[in-house]
Amino acid sequence: MNEGQDWVYSDIVKDHFLNPRNFLFGDESKFKYDAVGLVGNPICGDQMKMYIKVKDDKIIDLRWKTYGCASAIASTSALSELAKGKTLDEAMKITAKDIDNYLGNLPKHKFHCSILGHEALEDAIKNYRSKIARTKISSL
Amino acid sequence: MVYLDYAATSPLLHEAIKAMREAEQRFFANASALHTPGHLSLNKIEETRELLAQLINAEPDEIIFTSGASESNNTVIRTFEGHKIITSPLEHHSIIETAKALGGKKTPALYSYMLANNEIGEFLPIKDIVKKARKEGGFVHSDLTQVLGKLPIDVKALDLDYATFSAHKIGGPIGVGALYVRNGVPFKPLIIGGNQEKKRRGTTYNTVGIIGFGAALKYVAEHKTWEIYDTKIRTLRDELARRILKEIPGSSLNTDLKNSLPNILNASFEAAEGESIQLYLDAEGIIVSTGSACASGDIKPSHVLMAKTGDAEVAHSSIRFSFGLGNTKEDIDKVMEVLPGVIDRLQKISTLERKKK
Repeated sequence: MNEGQDWVYSDIVKDHFLNPRNFLFGDESKFKYDAVGLVGNPICGDQMKMYIKVKDDKIIDLRWKTYGCASAIASTSALSELAKGKTLDEAMKITAKDIDNYLGNLPKHKFHCSILGHEALEDAIKNYRSKIARTKISSL
Repeated sequence: MVYLDYAATSPLLHEAIKAMREAEQRFFANASALHTPGHLSLNKIEETRELLAQLINAEPDEIIFTSGASESNNTVIRTFEGHKIITSPLEHHSIIETAKALGGKKTPALYSYMLANNEIGEFLPIKDIVKKARKEGGFVHSDLTQVLGKLPIDVKALDLDYATFSAHKIGGPIGVGALYVRNGVPFKPLIIGGNQEKKRRGTTYNTVGIIGFGAALKYVAEHKTWEIYDTKIRTLRDELARRILKEIPGSSLNTDLKNSLPNILNASFEAAEGESIQLYLDAEGIIVSTGSACASGDIKPSHVLMAKTGDAEVAHSSIRFSFGLGNTKEDIDKVMEVLPGVIDRLQKISTLERKKK
């Protein structure tokens, strides 16, 4: 009865929803991160947070949290796989379309509301860069 | 599978399946025709009409068969096009949106209030509405879709002018409904161009569907299902409510157990989103529904929960468990084996903090 094709989403979405990758389970303090980004609003039904660990301008590790529907969870999970190991510049270029392609396309009405993770990632990277800039200024 | 989505639709009763199988072979003829097979089909339709009339204390000619509750609702609202139409905020979209599109300022007014809501099960103050409407010479419609079979119904005692019914919520087929229209009240047909239903609704009679509806009505009447709902089903519902509150941190009820249909339980789970809860449960073979926007393909969450709670987070995090005659104590145990873990997992990956203990 729960075969992929009987499900509302594709097999890849289902897999990322049921077995999400790289999520931060429980307390934030469990993951040592360099910067965090936030996007969305629980009033609208979706909110995502992205925690990144950076070394030599590369995302060496990351975690996320999501309040949202199945496609929101799956798309954040997919993004975390896409972004891992990328340079900050490369990661900034990840679009909603890339995530959608990776997942084998979400239903149309889900596209706008549930693919927000890349904005949280952008936010995290911007926060990281301004933090670095501040450190540089203060060490001058 | 644990099916707890009876308020959305119920599985066909064995009796309805049997009756429809037979009808497909024996009562295929056009029920408007004068020949013998046609007349035999019409007789079966009239049997269902009488069954429903008896069950709700109406006259058979006050019953019109429709394609379902939405059509019944639309028909009543359209009859009052241009008139003042007052509805409760808990009505089905087939009332709210039609009233918004067609309502005006003319009198007499139409009041449309369901007796019990489909998402939270809550009872509406229909007696007060009738009193108010009578005082100003208005008419009253009530959507009784969720109530049929769950409570005894007497449209005369309720003093209703119109009432909506649906077959598939009581184990009958989808695509069949009925509208009670009190003798002598205004009526405008929605489908024109046929003598069916005494010129009140055109289209060839849906003989097989109506016969299936009849079988389900017979089951309801013979088993007095409202008594089973009031005892066995209420006990199951209340037990699930008690265990959810006790065993799941951050849970709250959107259903007032003392003022609601005995088969509906709506609960919210802080920091966990409804569609995700629904689909994690689905993966474990537990079937429920949610008032979250995501599930409906809409941008906004359930208008009913918004009207009741005014809190979008509560609405997005809501799950409706709706019971039917097939549910057992084991179903509750299975839900409570799975649900606490699902909620805990979603709360732990959530960006939101759980406020309640």
